[in-house]
Amino acid sequence: FNELETFNIISIFFSLRFLLRLTRYIVLLVVTKVLKALGIFESYDILKVVHIVQFIFILKLGSAVILLFFQKPFSSGKAISKRQWIKLLKHAVFSCIISLLGFFGLTLCGPLRVSYITVVEVSNMLFCCFVCDSAQTRGAALFIIAVICLLLFDNDDLMAKMAEHPEGHHDSALTHFLYTAIAFLGVADHKGGVVLLVASLCLKVGFHTASRKLSVEIGGAKRLYALDNLVSAVVLLPWVIVLSATTESKVESWSSLILPFGMIILSVMILEFYVEAICNTKMETPRCARYGAVALFLSALLLANFWTHPLTDQLRSMSKPAQQLSTEHVLSGGVIVSAVFFIMASSILSSPSKKGQKGTLVGYSPEGTPLYNFMGDALQHTSQSLPRFIKDSLKQILEEYDSRQIFYFLCLNLAFTFVELFYGVWTNSLGLISDGFHMLFDCSALVLGLFAALMTRWKATRIFSYGYGRVEILSGFINGLFLMVIAFFVFVESVTRVLDPPNINTDMLTPVSVGGLLVNLVGICAFSHAHAHAHGGKGCSSNDHGHSHHGHSHSEHSHGGHGHSHGMNANMRGVFLHVLADTLGSVGVIISTILIRQFGWLIADPLCSLFIATLIFLSVIPLLKDACEVLLLRIPQENEKDLNSALEKIEKIEGVLSYRDPHFWRHSANMIAGTIHLQIMSDVVEQRIIQQVTAILKDAGVNNLSVQVEKEAYFQHMSGLSTGFQEVLAMTQQMESMKYLKDGTCIM
Amino acid sequence: QGTIHPFRKTHKSVFGKLKQEFRLVTSDRRSWRILLFGALNLLCTGCLLMWCSSTNSMALTAYTYLTIFDLFSLITCLISSWVTMKKPSQLYSFGFDRLEVLAVFASTVLVQLGALFILKERCVCLPLTHTQTHSGRLLVGTFVALFFNLLTLLSVRNKPFTYVSEAASSSWLQEHVADLSRSLCGVIPGLSSVLLPRMNPFVLINMAGALSLCITYMLIEINNYNAVDTASAVAIALMTFGTMYPMSVYSGKVLLQTTPSHVIGQLDKLLREVSTLEGVLEVRNEHFWTVGFGSLAGSAHVRIRRDANEQLVLAHVTNRLLPLVSTLTVQIFKDDWTRPLLSGTLSSSPSPVPPLGPEGYAIPPSSSALPPLLSDPLTSTPSKPSSPPPEFAFDTPGRNVQQVVLPAAGHHAHGPYGGLGLAYGASPYAGMLSQGVARPGMPSSQSYRTAFGAPTLPLRFGTSNPLASQSQYRQYQP
Repeated sequence: FNELETFNIISIFFSLRFLLRLTRYIVLLVVTKVLKALGIFESYDILKVVHIVQFIFILKLGSAVILLFFQKPFSSGKAISKRQWIKLLKHAVFSCIISLLGFFGLTLCGPLRVSYITVVEVSNMLFCCFVCDSAQTRGAALFIIAVICLLLFDNDDLMAKMAEHPEGHHDSALTHFLYTAIAFLGVADHKGGVVLLVASLCLKVGFHTASRKLSVEIGGAKRLYALDNLVSAVVLLPWVIVLSATTESKVESWSSLILPFGMIILSVMILEFYVEAICNTKMETPRCARYGAVALFLSALLLANFWTHPLTDQLRSMSKPAQQLSTEHVLSGGVIVSAVFFIMASSILSSPSKKGQKGTLVGYSPEGTPLYNFMGDALQHTSQSLPRFIKDSLKQILEEYDSRQIFYFLCLNLAFTFVELFYGVWTNSLGLISDGFHMLFDCSALVLGLFAALMTRWKATRIFSYGYGRVEILSGFINGLFLMVIAFFVFVESVTRVLDPPNINTDMLTPVSVGGLLVNLVGICAFSHAHAHAHGGKGCSSNDHGHSHHGHSHSEHSHGGHGHSHGMNANMRGVFLHVLADTLGSVGVIISTILIRQFGWLIADPLCSLFIATLIFLSVIPLLKDACEVLLLRIPQENEKDLNSALEKIEKIEGVLSYRDPHFWRHSANMIAGTIHLQIMSDVVEQRIIQQVTAILKDAGVNNLSVQVEKEAYFQHMSGLSTGFQEVLAMTQQMESMKYLKDGTCIM
Repeated sequence: QGTIHPFRKTHKSVFGKLKQEFRLVTSDRRSWRILLFGALNLLCTGCLLMWCSSTNSMALTAYTYLTIFDLFSLITCLISSWVTMKKPSQLYSFGFDRLEVLAVFASTVLVQLGALFILKERCVCLPLTHTQTHSGRLLVGTFVALFFNLLTLLSVRNKPFTYVSEAASSSWLQEHVADLSRSLCGVIPGLSSVLLPRMNPFVLINMAGALSLCITYMLIEINNYNAVDTASAVAIALMTFGTMYPMSVYSGKVLLQTTPSHVIGQLDKLLREVSTLEGVLEVRNEHFWTVGFGSLAGSAHVRIRRDANEQLVLAHVTNRLLPLVSTLTVQIFKDDWTRPLLSGTLSSSPSPVPPLGPEGYAIPPSSSALPPLLSDPLTSTPSKPSSPPPEFAFDTPGRNVQQVVLPAAGHHAHGPYGGLGLAYGASPYAGMLSQGVARPGMPSSQSYRTAFGAPTLPLRFGTSNPLASQSQYRQYQP
């Protein structure tokens, strides 16, 4: 052997040993998971006879006794202070609630589905450190899809039979309450169980993160677990006593239940906890989670197949009434599909997140290793808290007239919408609910307008070098497109209805449309004010262009009467048109309702909507046209004449030969930008020309101007610079040499 | 001018104009092809809409919107070919390049609004009614739409959309596909040439939509799960959102006249170079934005020293920026330019500098050139004239900046500058003076001057004659 081969062999040997050591833990993990699946199935059987609170009490008590024996939380470690006891109490109450939810879900939807969801629970730790990796989001999406699959496609026929006697054998107040809650949600029984399980899973994730701090405080997770079990048993004790005193038990003999209870306590509560703790320290967590998930899933699938089989009868320690066999929860196609999704989700979620990919390559270190820049982390640290952000933006919204107006109207609109929606749900009226959704949809245009009005006042940045004023115009354009789309859909819909007028139930329509009309009329009153100004300002915008820098202070008293600097506020126009369209819709509904009631003209409704669609369309066109012109950098229409005369004036300035490339465009409502190149005689001072031209163009309304003044020398320089090095050198050599000499002698 | 103009008088020539422009476009043979595909697309869309209403499938409707989007993209293509024929007019002084951008923006936004409508419809219908979906023409419609979409995408060269889809940041659909294919290539390395390059977002969304429709069809046929239709409609709408959103953001940013983020580094470098030119004090009010897709326009104000030659600086600044910024306007700006004229004799000499005597110069460096520097809030770093300029090799008395630079600058100075240099040379105070002038200027423009410490020639003009000036420089080095 040479050295390399020896080294290879040694390294292989070491990795083999490492693997062998790992296999021990993996086998341990798998065995535990199989036992846990068994325990879950067993507890499902027991739960059919034992009341759920009693069951949890026994579970907690049993595990507490065993853990007290092993862990000795009182004799070892620090003493626990009073405050810690209170925290422990809260912790225990929460854990009781979670296990109550979980086991109640178990009674509802059977052991197989429970073990699926617990598959994901294994990797729930990774949920907490949820990062915005694309793989992670995919995992979360898969998890959600799997839950939806369980909810929608799992046609467990036997469930329906269970659902027929939902409160047959439950008589406690708690179960009754839960049943009514599920019935209120309107889902089938076992689906309610799934919902409960998912809820308990989500709670558990939060609970784990919260308990981490407490476990450090108490002194170790194990000690916390032991104490927690004890305390929750104590918490449940009064309830159990009351329960057993008030209701008669269905259990024939408690002695026959001792063995299964012991088994469940051992497998579900204690063994799993210890093995998980060991494996997490010996192997990396994701790997551990993955093996555990696969083991649990497979064993649950096997057990579900064989649980009702006679072979396993001796495994099952309980004899059961024959009729209950029919209500067993069995496998179905939906379960299998969702199981596949669950497995994928857990494997993606438990795979190590590749955080290195988030960074951008900055360069290489002197040693040659790549250096990354983690922008995301830096950004996360600087982001402010949500309440503060909301508070700040609210303050900003209320500062200015436009955004305040939109905000108040948005609030009004939303309030109306929610009242409508709630009333619709209350009275179970389809029309009301759908109208509410339409209103909500319309609110999105308002939100867009509000956001644009807010953004307009942001400070100019490196990227938005002129400031954010143009956002308003873009938002107006988008709102215009939005209205076009709405008009188009209404048009198509009404054309199909003209051909085949449907029967309309007009009972609920009138009050709703009158309410909508009132709300929208308020909006029109609020916005027409700004709207009229937007048009009124056009004429005199050339007089007060100087205020562009004091836009804030100026618009505060913009409603004072004199023309303000808003030449064209496309945003407000868009919002106004939206409100106008809504109003027209309400008016149309009222008119068509009257026509249908009075004369029975069913065709009135589509005709009305046809008319409204055309009206919306026609009223949007000017807005779109104006916004397009601004976006295409046309010379502002209202300043066109002024600019032309200004250009004539510029040509007449003494010393100006000509001008070229005059570009003038409206950047935002109160900014007209421009650039121009001037050719002047070589004996004129440039700065004076710039001053004059700036003054002339300022009078014409241009308030962001760049003037490039060129003399003949400039073109000479440019031609010199743009030609190659050699030519320049040759051209200037003789001339230069003389001057150099002179310069050099003079200065040295 | 009110808002509602139901009976607005349109220009009589609007249709005539349109016809004329249309004729202009159709004069090109290439646009025939686009028109042919447009007609096919209209036919296909009509068929699909009929099938949509007959199958009552929302998912197919969502997919049909993609076909309509293809129609929009064809229109955009026509517009872009029209734009290339049009010259800038007096009203639209930048030309019609922006129309292309606007068309891209409008079509992406329209498709997103369509997707929003789908989502809204689903939101309204989901909890209330269970519509019966007939799977009859579902699969046929899917494949017809997929075929036409792919045909249009692959056979018509759509310049604007290709540009946008390459320039915009990748959508979440692309990210996920890239992520998946990366892990797949880990298993089968042979696929790396097929899967690893960035996918075309349009092909991707068409494929994904067709796939989800196929799944829908299967599930409806086999198990009669009608809820799948809703789910896949929502999925297609979300995918449409995801695909179109980055593109509309990109084109919207162009419309908002923003500096494209990918040229910022390059621009900063150029501006830094500009601010180290001789005589330049600072660059401010710099606005750079894209006119159409790609061509940059911009303007900047350059503040220069009072004794610098405006035309020379202008020529150099323009020369630096012009390769990147095709439509450029540079305003040269001097502080207090009236003062020397007032103190000096009234003359019509070619440049304001020569008539100045040494007395006239003695004041400005300390009093007139500095105060505006310190008071101007835009000038970020007010400088202390007493502190020596950092790391500057010329800062020893006797060997000042000007004597090095002037000869170098003289390379280009044909007319006025030569005389100017002579005037400097003749003045016994010139050395001290120019040093005094140069000092406050340098630290003030530090915002762009990060390469300050580099032992290059910061005040050297031009790049066209590096050798000559370098040799001059060495000549004066001790």
